[in-house]
Amino acid sequence: MPSSTVIRGGGFRPAAYGAMLLGTAFVFIISVCLGSVSVPLRDVFASVAAALSGEKQLLTGHSDIILSVRIPRVLCVALTGASLSLCGAAMQGILRNPLADGSTLGVSGGASLGAVLAISFGSRLPFFGGGGVVVTAIVFAFMSLAVILGLSHKLDRSLSTNTIILTGIVYSMFVSSIISLVIAFAGDKVKTITFWTMGSLANTDYLNVLTILTALLLCASLILMRSRELNAFALGEDNARSVGVNVKRVKLELLIAVSILIGVCVSIGGTIGFVGLVSPHMTRMLTGPNHKRLLSASMFFGACFLMLADLLSRTIVRPMELPVGVVTSFIGAVAFVFIFKKSGRVG
Amino acid sequence: MKKRQFALILALALGLSLLASCGTVLEKPEENTGSFQLVDMEGRVLNLEGPAERVIALTASDCEILFALGAGDFVIARGQYCNYPEKALELQAISSGSETNTEQIIALKPDLVIMNMMDQTLKQIAAMEKAGIPVVVNSAESIDEVYKSIELIGKAVGKDMEAETLVSDMRKNFEDISSKSIQGEKTVYFEVSPLEYGLWTAGKGTFMDEIVELLGMKNAFPDVSGWAEISQEQVIERNPDYIVTISMGTLGQPSPTEEIMSRRGWQGIKAVSEGAVTEIDSDEIARPGPRLVSAAEGLYAFFYGD
Repeated sequence: MPSSTVIRGGGFRPAAYGAMLLGTAFVFIISVCLGSVSVPLRDVFASVAAALSGEKQLLTGHSDIILSVRIPRVLCVALTGASLSLCGAAMQGILRNPLADGSTLGVSGGASLGAVLAISFGSRLPFFGGGGVVVTAIVFAFMSLAVILGLSHKLDRSLSTNTIILTGIVYSMFVSSIISLVIAFAGDKVKTITFWTMGSLANTDYLNVLTILTALLLCASLILMRSRELNAFALGEDNARSVGVNVKRVKLELLIAVSILIGVCVSIGGTIGFVGLVSPHMTRMLTGPNHKRLLSASMFFGACFLMLADLLSRTIVRPMELPVGVVTSFIGAVAFVFIFKKSGRVG
Repeated sequence: MKKRQFALILALALGLSLLASCGTVLEKPEENTGSFQLVDMEGRVLNLEGPAERVIALTASDCEILFALGAGDFVIARGQYCNYPEKALELQAISSGSETNTEQIIALKPDLVIMNMMDQTLKQIAAMEKAGIPVVVNSAESIDEVYKSIELIGKAVGKDMEAETLVSDMRKNFEDISSKSIQGEKTVYFEVSPLEYGLWTAGKGTFMDEIVELLGMKNAFPDVSGWAEISQEQVIERNPDYIVTISMGTLGQPSPTEEIMSRRGWQGIKAVSEGAVTEIDSDEIARPGPRLVSAAEGLYAFFYGD
């Protein structure tokens, strides 16, 4: 992570936001048109118009697919991509660790353990979006983050990149062994659980969209307001403190926001790995390290990245489907090596 | 250098053990008069000293076949998922599938183990055969293969006649159902996993597909093989005339049929708008055993309204 000066100055001009919004809208429309069944653009617009105006004669043969399946799914995918990407960018900033991401740190794993426990032993709330699963996932995401950082701190006071990543890997393995144990005891609920560990946003509905949207609006505004502090963290915590940042408080706030977002995403789509790693890095190549630009841009970028990955996952073996986690992990693992090599050369 | 030596020794040891295991099969002489040879569904040749009387059935379908042949008294233990007929539940249940415990099986001293190859490894089979327990591998993927496997099990437990009768009864029943059915172009979508866990359907090479064809219908997913995950949009696009689910549903929740009828975006599907959605017992239609007939009869009643 470059550390020349505390970066001042603002974010993007409105035109830049407009361009990113347009790009995302473009990817969104492509994702809605293409899929295991391809739908002409004309039908998409007609269906949406019919739904908005309530005029039944505009409905086409594909309207059911577009309105009830495709659009909620792509919306969920876009919002999840934006959330995970924002979380990745924020964690990389807080920890000054280029490899930090919900999946590499084991936070997603912890959240899925929470979800799995809630399904197996908690109140019976099998429909995702159900409160119990979401809340437990969030709590476990935060506890995992606390455990991982606490343990890393005990092992290595400087909290170096490698220590955190290693702790994250060990923690992920630990969690997955507990999940296996829970599965052994859970019996007939195994199916729901294996669904959770795969990572897929197929069959999501408007309720899921609303859930992620609420979480994203809440947490993103909190995280984006802390752009200045994240820029200061780039110089090290001591320096941040000396320019007047309440390090402990800001860190805690950010980590809670990140946990909420990851918890919500995991409770709806399971563990979708590496999105928070790949897309902030790609974004950084375009925007540079200023968090005022990086955070918002990486949300757009993450949305597009996951929408394209999901598009691939539902068309590559049609009429069958791949879990989107397979696609992102494949791309992400390659990117991980690349970033690791690059960051090693710099620092 | 050391590594290479180690690899060499390992290869030698492997080769020797292979030779040894081949040897035991080939050299076994046919001693007493009661002994006979069996070829199981994997093409493995077994020598049995007489009809088996202490049998362990690990797979649910094999257990059903044994009871249907009147050989239920020969079964000393069953795999944990064997739940039919009710009498089978009185037997000791042992772990099966990927948790198959070879030690547990050997300790029960069976004179025959019947299992499928889905989760078992050749290593497990070799371990049991080393302990002197013959293992019949049974795996049927079509109705014709079910006949074969019934005959195989019948032979193994000395119930050849009963097996013949059972097979000819099944054949006759299937022929009856098939001749009553009208060949047409109507399509059936099978749901083997509900929306909540990701949609899975049964394509070519499944009993569901075979029975649907017998009944004069077409599978809505003939381009998929085996059980596979598919997307909702595909189901809506293919617009099936009938929907058959094997979901069991949970108490206090809407039934699987109600859940399917109320899905967003599914209202335009012919099967949903005409209420042609039903549930069937997954054990009946998914197990390669004699109850496939009653699954077919149930579906016939659903399609043709008898």
